[in-house]
Amino acid sequence: MFKIILYILMAEFPVATRVLFEISRILNTGLDMETLSICVRLCEQGINPEALSSVIKELRKATEALKAAENMTG
Amino acid sequence: ADAAQQFQYAVRVIGSNFAPTVERDEFLVAEKIKKELVRQRREADAALFSELYRKLSSQGILKNKWSILYLLLSLSEDPRKQSNKVSSYATLFAQALPRDAHSTPYYYARPQSLPLNYQDRSAQSAQSSGSIGSSGISSINLYALNGPTPTPQSLLPGQSYQAPGVGDCLRQQLGSRLAWTLTASQPSLQNTTSKGFSNPVSRGVPRSRRDGDTSGSVEITEANLVRDVLYVFQGIDGKTIKMCNSENCYKVEGKVSLSKSLRDTTSRLAELGWLHNKIRKYTDQRSLDRAFGLVGQSFCAALHQELKEYYRLLSVLHSQLQLEDDQGVNLGLESSLTLRRLLVWTYDPKIRLKTLAALVDHCQGRKGGELASAVHAYTKTGDPYMRSLVQHILGLVSHPVLNFLYRWIYDGELEDTYHEFFVASDPTVKTDRLWHDKYTLRKSMIPSFITMEQSKKVLLIGKSINFLHQVCHDQTPSTKMIAVAKSTESSKDAADLFTDLENAFQEKIDAAYFETSKYLLDVLNKKYNLLEHMQAMRRYLLLGQGDFIRHLMDLLKPELARPATTLYQHNLTGILETAVRATNAQFDNPEILKRLDVRLLEVSPGDTGWDVFSLDYHVDGPIATVFTRECMSHYLRVFNFLWRAKRMEYILTDIWKGHMCNAKLLKSMPELSGVLHQCHVLASEMVHFIHQMQYYITFEVLECSWDELWNKVQQAQDLDHIIAAHEVFLDTIIARCLLDSDSRVLLNQLRAVFDQIIELQNAQDAMYRAALEELQLRLQFEERKKQRELEGKWGVTAAEDEEENKRVKEFQDSIPKMCSQLRILTHFYQGIVQQFLVLLTTSSDESLRFLSFRLDFNEHYKAREPRLRVSLGTRGRRSSHM
Repeated sequence: MFKIILYILMAEFPVATRVLFEISRILNTGLDMETLSICVRLCEQGINPEALSSVIKELRKATEALKAAENMTG
Repeated sequence: ADAAQQFQYAVRVIGSNFAPTVERDEFLVAEKIKKELVRQRREADAALFSELYRKLSSQGILKNKWSILYLLLSLSEDPRKQSNKVSSYATLFAQALPRDAHSTPYYYARPQSLPLNYQDRSAQSAQSSGSIGSSGISSINLYALNGPTPTPQSLLPGQSYQAPGVGDCLRQQLGSRLAWTLTASQPSLQNTTSKGFSNPVSRGVPRSRRDGDTSGSVEITEANLVRDVLYVFQGIDGKTIKMCNSENCYKVEGKVSLSKSLRDTTSRLAELGWLHNKIRKYTDQRSLDRAFGLVGQSFCAALHQELKEYYRLLSVLHSQLQLEDDQGVNLGLESSLTLRRLLVWTYDPKIRLKTLAALVDHCQGRKGGELASAVHAYTKTGDPYMRSLVQHILGLVSHPVLNFLYRWIYDGELEDTYHEFFVASDPTVKTDRLWHDKYTLRKSMIPSFITMEQSKKVLLIGKSINFLHQVCHDQTPSTKMIAVAKSTESSKDAADLFTDLENAFQEKIDAAYFETSKYLLDVLNKKYNLLEHMQAMRRYLLLGQGDFIRHLMDLLKPELARPATTLYQHNLTGILETAVRATNAQFDNPEILKRLDVRLLEVSPGDTGWDVFSLDYHVDGPIATVFTRECMSHYLRVFNFLWRAKRMEYILTDIWKGHMCNAKLLKSMPELSGVLHQCHVLASEMVHFIHQMQYYITFEVLECSWDELWNKVQQAQDLDHIIAAHEVFLDTIIARCLLDSDSRVLLNQLRAVFDQIIELQNAQDAMYRAALEELQLRLQFEERKKQRELEGKWGVTAAEDEEENKRVKEFQDSIPKMCSQLRILTHFYQGIVQQFLVLLTTSSDESLRFLSFRLDFNEHYKAREPRLRVSLGTRGRRSSHM
């Protein structure tokens, strides 16, 4: 019974997600599947993409910084 | 610490600017992307992107395509640049976010729930019995919608959930998770995002509290029941409440001890689950049925929509449940979920589900217009809530039907693969029978909100359009029709149908009907001269053009007297043309004249030309729709009858002519006077009879019916009217000309009368011949006598005189024979006429009865025939058995 609910869900999204994943791969955005799906949900909710992209860039920079810090110390 | 800071920053940034600076055009963004790719000299990739973009555009799930595309564009990096692999963010966010990080304006529900669960999780990481669940769940989560929280570690495998019982718990978790995911799958659902935030994490430990409860004891608390009931609402069997197939209801397992009140309440709530199952089963079954048709599909879609609303409610309830779980029982009873609360909150949904389930029951096995009627039947309820719900569904369901309808009446097109519309088209019918046979009403599919009269009009409109296109080869719709067609359907129209704007629908149909029919009639009259042809039929086939017919008969008389086998069609056609040229008929429309023709009927042995001659009129194209083959054969029969009657008239005229000519001549033979007198008397009787018959036929039958037909045709609003009026016309004529099957006896009598007339003609001819011959001889004798006297001889010799006298004697002896012959003829004739009169008076047709009056105006026959003396009844009709 809930299998059917599952099917409905699965039916709704995979095409779009795969296509978007391909597009993001072409554009070399560096997003993996999970992150991409989260971003898609965020955009669907109406978030401003400019803001979101600046946040992601910030987070990446922070990650770099952390990694660099770890490498230096470790 | 960094993570928290980052999070704060992220939320701030996102919350700050809402209005994007870039315009929201996904096409523009897509173009930008392509340009960027081309700039990087990656044309192949650009083509690939175009392909992908096309695929993306074709699916309609994502609404904000532009924003995601813009995001991807802004995040894209040139591959030529040095790109370092971005590691997964899991490491950054692996630690739990501290408590205060969540106190942001977006989080106004359950901020404490998050850290609580984190700590719990770390404490319980030892147990890994639920690993099956987690792997299954993580695969789902790729497609499931989570709230946008930075907690991807809930997806990491290796983390396990506390799972008290494997099978049940898995199902329940899946059930609850799915219930959540269904909630968040509404893209427009802004108000539950707050609840959605706590989704993934709080789900992690659903049952830790319950462990203590369920281990070993049979006591079922209300909380457990509530949980179970929430699953039952979705049709999933709970721990204690299971579906009992034999009784088709949800029952609490018997061995569990439960107070009666709780049991009752539970079963009442479980009803909701049962209703849900029923509706679900219907929609699932129907979605697999390929031949279900558009109406059925829209019905299922409407049901599906309603179910989604229902799921939404369930997820709200679930979230409430989770809240209690996470908060512990220290919240107190005011806000906890009890069975009573559930009862109250599910009251409205229950009514909705009941209505839907009733609809489903009622609509089992129906499709197309029938389904729409079934749904419509349910709008007739007093309950406004139910009525609005059913009306909404009805609006959706009838949308395909209205689509069909509008296409049919504006374009004449019918694309109905599942046979749902109430107009059926028969593909085997060819164009010549298009009007009559091709389109029929499928009565079972007429929805109950469209009356029979409207559906007949609809059928007529589409039929006219198709007729125009195919038979009249006329593709241009009139300007008014285009204007009307412009105001085409919208889903608003469906709602209009059922509100007080029903008149709008009726007006639309009426307008379309009026325009189309008028146009069709215009085309028929102007381009195809329908009315002129009708008049032409009257003139030629129904002997309306008197001078032409007379002349034709004159010319044909010598020809037709010959045996039928010696006649040739082309000869007769030549004579026909001569007749046409010599009379007023030559001024007629040449189009009509060229359709006029001679037809020779089948020859039986012994036929003379009179029996096989007939005129014919060719019809084709759209005219043939009105003048079908049966109509033409009717016309020919009537022609035959009228032609014979005319011939009788003709013969009698000849007889009279003979009388006039020879009376003077034969005055010198006084012995003939008796015979001649008898002859005259008989002839005038016959003349009277035939005159009355002719009058009857010409005026009572033909002119009256024709007048009626003409009036109706002038006032006709559509082709069906014309066809019907024409058929009535023909039927009346046939009945009154004694040609239908009821009047066969009468017709035979009439034929007998006609035969007698011919007999008289023959007899008279013979008599006159003999008389004239005799006269001639006598005259010769006298001549010779005179001659001889002049020459001085005896005027007459004894022998000659002897001879002469003998001959005269012979002649005079033959006179009584002639006399008796005539007398027999007269007697016979009168007998037949009397019988004819008797039959007339007993006929059912009024005008025939009046004919009998006229025929017997001086009661000449009444005197002889006892049967005629019986007085007529109140309505002028004698009973047929005497």
